Amino acid sequence: MKRIYIQEEYCIGCRLCEIYCQVKHSKSKKIIKAFKEEMVDILPRVLVEEIGYNSFAIQCRHCSDAPCVEACISGAMQKNKNTGVVTCNEDKCVGCWSCIMVCPYGVIKRDLSGKKIASKCDLCIDEEIPVCVQNCPNEALKFMDKDAKEKNLVGNKGG
Amino acid sequence: MALKLKQSEFEIERDQNKCISCEVCVRQCSNDVHEYDSDQDTIYSDNSKCVGCRRCEALCPTGALKIRNREDQFKTNYNWTSSHLNNIYRQADSGGVLLTGMGSDRPYTIYWDHILFNASQVTNPSIDPLREPMEIRTFIGRKPDGLEFEMKKNKGSKEGLKNTNIRLKTRLSPQLDLSTPIMFSAMSYGSISFNACRSLAAAASEFGTYCNTGEGGMHKDLYKYANNTIVQVASGRYGVDTDYLNKGAAIEIKIGQGAKPGIGGHLPGEKVTEDISNTRMIPEGTDAISPAPHHDIYSIEDLAQLIYALKEATNWSKPVGVKVSAVHNIAPIASGVVRAGADFVTIDGLRGGTGAAPQTIRDNVGIPIELAIASVDERLREEGIRHRSSIIAAGSIRSSADVIKAIALGADAVYIGTAALVAMGCHLCQKCYTGKCNWGIATQDPYLTKRLNPEIGTRKLLNLLRGWSLEIKEMLGGAGINAIESLKSNREHLRGISLNDRELAILGIKHAGEAW
Amino acid sequence: MKSKNNNRKNNKTFEDNETIDYLIIGNSAAGLAAAESIRELDRAGEIIILTAENYLNYSKPMITYFLAGAVNLDMIHFKDEKFYTDNRLDIRLNTRVKSIDTNKMFLITDDGKRYEFRKLLIASGGRPIIPKIKVVGAGSFDFIDGTNYEKVGGIFTLTNLEDAIRVKNYIEKNDIKNISILGGGLIGLKAAEAFLEKGIDINIIELADRILATTFDREASGIIERKIKSAGSNIYRNNTIEEIYIESGKITGYKLKDGRKMECSLLIIAVGVNPDASFIESGSLDMVKGIIVDDHMRTSVKNIYAAGDVVEGPDMLSGGKRNIAIWPLAVRQGTAAGVNMAGRNKRYGGGFFMNSVELLGIPSISMGITNIGEEAEGIEVLRDFDADRNMYRKVIIKNNRIIGVILIGNIERAGIYSGLIRNEIDISSVKENISREDFGIIHLPTDYKKHLVVGEGIEV
Repeated sequence: MKRIYIQEEYCIGCRLCEIYCQVKHSKSKKIIKAFKEEMVDILPRVLVEEIGYNSFAIQCRHCSDAPCVEACISGAMQKNKNTGVVTCNEDKCVGCWSCIMVCPYGVIKRDLSGKKIASKCDLCIDEEIPVCVQNCPNEALKFMDKDAKEKNLVGNKGG
Repeated sequence: MALKLKQSEFEIERDQNKCISCEVCVRQCSNDVHEYDSDQDTIYSDNSKCVGCRRCEALCPTGALKIRNREDQFKTNYNWTSSHLNNIYRQADSGGVLLTGMGSDRPYTIYWDHILFNASQVTNPSIDPLREPMEIRTFIGRKPDGLEFEMKKNKGSKEGLKNTNIRLKTRLSPQLDLSTPIMFSAMSYGSISFNACRSLAAAASEFGTYCNTGEGGMHKDLYKYANNTIVQVASGRYGVDTDYLNKGAAIEIKIGQGAKPGIGGHLPGEKVTEDISNTRMIPEGTDAISPAPHHDIYSIEDLAQLIYALKEATNWSKPVGVKVSAVHNIAPIASGVVRAGADFVTIDGLRGGTGAAPQTIRDNVGIPIELAIASVDERLREEGIRHRSSIIAAGSIRSSADVIKAIALGADAVYIGTAALVAMGCHLCQKCYTGKCNWGIATQDPYLTKRLNPEIGTRKLLNLLRGWSLEIKEMLGGAGINAIESLKSNREHLRGISLNDRELAILGIKHAGEAW
Repeated sequence: MKSKNNNRKNNKTFEDNETIDYLIIGNSAAGLAAAESIRELDRAGEIIILTAENYLNYSKPMITYFLAGAVNLDMIHFKDEKFYTDNRLDIRLNTRVKSIDTNKMFLITDDGKRYEFRKLLIASGGRPIIPKIKVVGAGSFDFIDGTNYEKVGGIFTLTNLEDAIRVKNYIEKNDIKNISILGGGLIGLKAAEAFLEKGIDINIIELADRILATTFDREASGIIERKIKSAGSNIYRNNTIEEIYIESGKITGYKLKDGRKMECSLLIIAVGVNPDASFIESGSLDMVKGIIVDDHMRTSVKNIYAAGDVVEGPDMLSGGKRNIAIWPLAVRQGTAAGVNMAGRNKRYGGGFFMNSVELLGIPSISMGITNIGEEAEGIEVLRDFDADRNMYRKVIIKNNRIIGVILIGNIERAGIYSGLIRNEIDISSVKENISREDFGIIHLPTDYKKHLVVGEGIEV
């Protein structure tokens, strides 16, 4: 199962990941149309944190023992047994925010644009590589298997 | 200030129909050119601050930005060009030396573009490098005067060649083994970022060629690439100790540099961080200005003494060479350097790049590398000492074609500096000395250095080396040659075009159309 | 929804005199979490679930959303039918447990059936608390309590789906325009919000000096109170109902402690919930209010486990054992119980109180110990109060570790705090950042931050 890994030392704080995430989750899926014409502000599912010259982009980790799935009162948050992806079923979500309360990464947001629902990264299931990873200009996000990650010790200075 | 004599060099065109105010340009410009106005929900751009590095244009997700050159529209004057006028305006304000970065951009003749390469047709057929062996492996170092062999018959066996062992008696000088005749030029840690140095070292290691520390010393995190690093001993002697000398694959004594012949290196204080201070062994925040001469080299005999001292200090285990700028009397200078014991001579031409140099010196001092290589190679052959040193050409090698032309003119290998940085993202805005390189190359600002991911940098450099090496093989094959050795100094493979007789004579080549 | 006895792989019908491998009392969070984790480890064992209710399953916290009309009956379940068939779970509806014999390991249900078990999980949840209140005009009785309150028309509790359906129907049938709620706690307020959304006026009667007294402090309660009042409701603090007036078997009004008399045709009693362990004979296993369990969900009797709202389990913050009746802990306890019942080893790890509720558009989250005096030893409190914007943030620190948090208005990234509480992270180096509005992972102590950023996620 592939997951997104973060390489903090290469994040340049440009926030292109957020922009492309917004485009991906817009109605038109076209960048200019999505930002200029779609009336509703689209929520990005990835969040860039920045202080000084340190920054990184973080999104749902699709945890093995996901606290959000445990806390969900409606059964909307489910972990797919095959892909391992944790998704929120928008039809079932009632906006109780229990998931926001327990996610230790704080990567779930309140989507108030329509019916109140919890919004988070869905690992871009229909794409080969999630759009945030694809569009990071400095390859600060990597999409790979856990084993590949351990062998490929992507290091910082001097490695 | 209110009165602006020098106008903006660039104009930023923003297509408001495409701009989505994502603010990526605002965040990515280290010169604060773009600013977001939340009241108007628009981004405004200040042309006067733009240096033309095109970072914003490259990252804009909708392609809304165009950076255009802004031509100064002074009254037409072929003598007083806008370049001269602007320089004087600048100098009248600053009163100091006008600094610039990268290589000379003046319209002097580029001889590479006036030299054409040969191809086989009927009698000496072309070779297909994808099917037949094509050797571009190159050795840098002193070649022996001759080879002596000794024959030893096996004990207790009959006479005859098959019972005899042939052994090479001549001891060979230490050599650098290059898988391609291209090396990375000397670029110091300080003038460029650590990530850039690491990319160069890693790419050189992986490809089987060499990089050069420049004046900056060797960073301890790059020790693992030491076997593919040439260490430089410059006039400032930054970072030089026995450890440093013994680690490197070869030692290069830097007498001069193509971009600024006659003066020493210059690293502005803004770029001397704690890490640089530790690597160069100098105080933090102070300008690192190398003196013009080495203060222990005032004659050719002094140079010979230093060369042999370095050989002694490293137990004669590695090549020790010298880097000089291409100046008027480069031929006798090179001859002297070779006779002084150098295993290789690096000649850096007029167009060589730099992190910081006075503009007048960069643009007006030195001679083009093409002419320098040709005359040095000619002189050393005349004197019968060509084999004693390898010649490395540097100073604006821009393509694989320039590489083979350099080798045909007499070089053993070339150094690429600017080309390597361009591969990593440099857009030649020539503002390296400000330390605000938006591409994370010529800066020490930690916010900016992150922008060069060494994984990406290494990959791009490897691609460059691979691409050029393949092209070299194709061109060699096309000329019917299957080893780079056969091309060296082989002027017959070159023809000049639109050059006058003197130029052709100095280059030692015929004019296009002339045959044997 | 009838039980699925004939729908099993080996087509064997369970006979009453066979011993069941795993018997679970309760078809909600804890019970189903346990069933799922048992099945993951034990592919063959028999799992039977007994529930007193008549529904496939539903989550109790969803009841008020059902009242508000945000979810309807066919969407209220949190596990679908496939869950039972995929995991081969035998569910017996309308089956209430009458008694358990903890020596001979069997139980008897209300319909007289006997179930013998090898391992038992008690996940029966909670029952509403009904205070004893004097009534006038009822005729046959002078007061109501847990045994007879249902005899009065218009008095309801809101602890299960049946209650909610009856309240909904009563409102529609009698065109109710005004509802009184005894109890200003979580259930009472969520119910109030549901009614307000339908345009019904609310009277809330609370015994303490503020609503949500157990979870919020004065500032936090104040923000919510002001919002509720501005929406047209009344809140009576430091008050309770002394007498209820009844006519023709229905409630018509009541008298408050302060003497005021109010008209009322629908009263919701929501003063709290106690563990539902009435079927357990006193002394048969260790209990206080709830069933005492250890960190492996074991009760004092071997092979009998308990999980969810019915237990008193390890409280991470106070160190002792407490009944913390919240959904996420019920699931976690159920999972741990299931693993341990199936023969493996899994520690529950202890829990702490936490709650998320949005009232009239103001989201709020509270977690840990939130009602501790600032003068208490070793306690440090950081707070940020913006009354105009209805925003409040309070962080309670003990020995450099966060033990409680209240967030009103801005609940972005609240879970980061719960991670800090759970992992007992020393936050002394980053104290000045903890109560920022834009507090994030980047402000956290380096080691913990690296662990979060570099790692893959929460792993077993």
